[in-house]
Amino acid sequence: MADPQRPITIAFDVMGSDHGPAELVKGAAALTLDTPNIHALLVGDQAVIGQALSQTRYNAERLAVHHAPTFVAMTEKPSAALEEKPLASIKVAAELVARGDAEALVSAGNTGACVLACARSFKLIPGVKRAALATVYPTQAVHGSKSDPFSLILDVGATVDATADDLVSFAVMGAAYARIISKNPNPTVALLSNGTEAQKGPPRVVEANQRLRSVSGLQFIGNVEGVDIPRGTADVVVCDGFVGNVCLKMLEGVHETVLELAKYAYKEKLLWRAGLAMLSSGFERIKEVTDWEQYGGAPILGFDRLFIKAHGRSKARAIANAGKVAAKAVSNQLAHVIEQGLQAPA
Amino acid sequence: MSLTDRIDPRPPRRIYRWDLDKTYLQTDFDTFRQLVRTALQKAEEKKAVPGAATLIRELKAQGDVRLCIVSGSPTQMRAVLAEKLKLDGVEFDELVLKDNMRNLLRGRFKALRGQVGYKLPVLLESRLNAPTEAEEVLFGDDAEADAFIYSLYADMVSRRVSEPVVHEVLRAAEVYEDDVERILARWKEIPPADPVRRIFINLDRLTPPASFARYGPRVVPVFNYFQASLVLMADGHLTAPSVIKVAVEMVQTAGHNLLTLSNSFQDLLRRGVPLGAVAEALTEALKSPGALLNSMRPVPDILAAFTKRIAALGSPVPPPAAREVDYLSLLDHARPRTHKARTRPSGS
Repeated sequence: MADPQRPITIAFDVMGSDHGPAELVKGAAALTLDTPNIHALLVGDQAVIGQALSQTRYNAERLAVHHAPTFVAMTEKPSAALEEKPLASIKVAAELVARGDAEALVSAGNTGACVLACARSFKLIPGVKRAALATVYPTQAVHGSKSDPFSLILDVGATVDATADDLVSFAVMGAAYARIISKNPNPTVALLSNGTEAQKGPPRVVEANQRLRSVSGLQFIGNVEGVDIPRGTADVVVCDGFVGNVCLKMLEGVHETVLELAKYAYKEKLLWRAGLAMLSSGFERIKEVTDWEQYGGAPILGFDRLFIKAHGRSKARAIANAGKVAAKAVSNQLAHVIEQGLQAPA
Repeated sequence: MSLTDRIDPRPPRRIYRWDLDKTYLQTDFDTFRQLVRTALQKAEEKKAVPGAATLIRELKAQGDVRLCIVSGSPTQMRAVLAEKLKLDGVEFDELVLKDNMRNLLRGRFKALRGQVGYKLPVLLESRLNAPTEAEEVLFGDDAEADAFIYSLYADMVSRRVSEPVVHEVLRAAEVYEDDVERILARWKEIPPADPVRRIFINLDRLTPPASFARYGPRVVPVFNYFQASLVLMADGHLTAPSVIKVAVEMVQTAGHNLLTLSNSFQDLLRRGVPLGAVAEALTEALKSPGALLNSMRPVPDILAAFTKRIAALGSPVPPPAAREVDYLSLLDHARPRTHKARTRPSGS
């Protein structure tokens, strides 16, 4: 049962993001002002953090600093960088979380290094063989009691060659996350395939489809196709990391292309420009409801500790929201809920 | 007349000057509604900032101490405020309140909100009656101009600030001419000394501590009175058991815990406040037997939490360098918070 008063410490790896430590520090500091139960543990260069803190309001009673002298840059190769830099901020932060100094971790740094540091420090939840990176994608349909215009997709890159077992555990993990974060008590779960029929897709997807039908407490709706992702046919879409990553990048590409086309149209004809101007408030509204910053970041599910990977371009607001999401998952015992889901009798 | 009646009481060795609203008392008067509610509150309804009452009691218990309170609250609230202090077990030596009715009747509307023209002469007059060797510690908050007024007062007494600068400050703060004359007259009567050791600013508005850096290391912004008591212990004003009593009050009455206290401790270290010896003395005090500490146990957890916060910082942060206060660059701080020149965004 969630206890909203219980103090929860979230570790923030403040180094290595595109906007530098100041935005991370600002976001974490904001959390200490408006959420009485969340404590922030800032991990990174103490002098840099001190400088960033001097520019922002914070509540010292709910904020601590842990010095880490180095960090993994976005351009570095994760495994080599972690080997060379044992005191890199992401590694130190993951270890602090593992030993209980904080209960979840947020970072906007090098994704590979983050995943690797977590994999080396955290334990997999009993019943989970591989972790999954989940992300939200804006959809036509809304989801859960909060009417979120997003669905959850996992895995989008952590486990490239998932087995049927992995896909089943991803489905359970995704459903648990949607229940807690989107306040969706009975989320619909689907497998991403090349057809809606149960026998469509590679053998691991066909097998996962069969097994998911018998998982109790899971509202499995069968297979969906790529086109169903933006439609929001399911609350949770499950796939392996290779497919998920390709899908995600393609969807991002489509989004960017649409924007480019709109810019082209704006320049090309006065009539089109007028049309776009008339639609501008609608575009603003769409931008508002599909604003990824309100979701903070992508959780890595499957470990006993939660890690939220914030976008490298995250500003303070996104970081604060990532911290809130992490705290919500912790207070609702996400890892325990996943474990229970995996142990549920068929 | 007996011999003891003829002997003067021992002169104070230390003077602690406190503001009331937002420094000692948790007060909200940002809106008219809050102002009315504050004015109508009974003594027992008023709440002290966690740890403040215990801190004052512990400071008084050190002996040869004078507690002087200067508040912007109206004189009509004297009875309620005195009653509240009595309920908290706080014995004061001076309680000066603002005669706003008189200001109103005389049409001195700038004086209603102005702080410099009110507090500065009161502080100087009180100093005039104090022994030259008595040292002072001042407590204010970040809601108005306390850091500015207290620093100016300290530098006026020590003659670190020149008369033209004081004139300029008083002009910028729109102090009435008769108050200017009063301030200058009192200042000249005070024998030069350097009595102000610390100025604590309670961060009621959570203003970033770095905003007070221009006042130098004498001004220590604090997020709570556990922080103030740690610094006072480092300065030799309090003992370790006294600091623990402040912490106990905060734990018991305001929901503080090991995490908030150890974070507060680390915050001071990050700002370069040297607390190494304090940590050692607190450790010894915590290890000693005593019923007082029962609510703070288990002691190993406390020690581990504080040790962890020290270790987490790596190398110690050097203390901030002493600096002269450039009052002319801080003139905006002398004006009331609602003053146009103060609220105007910088650079505009």
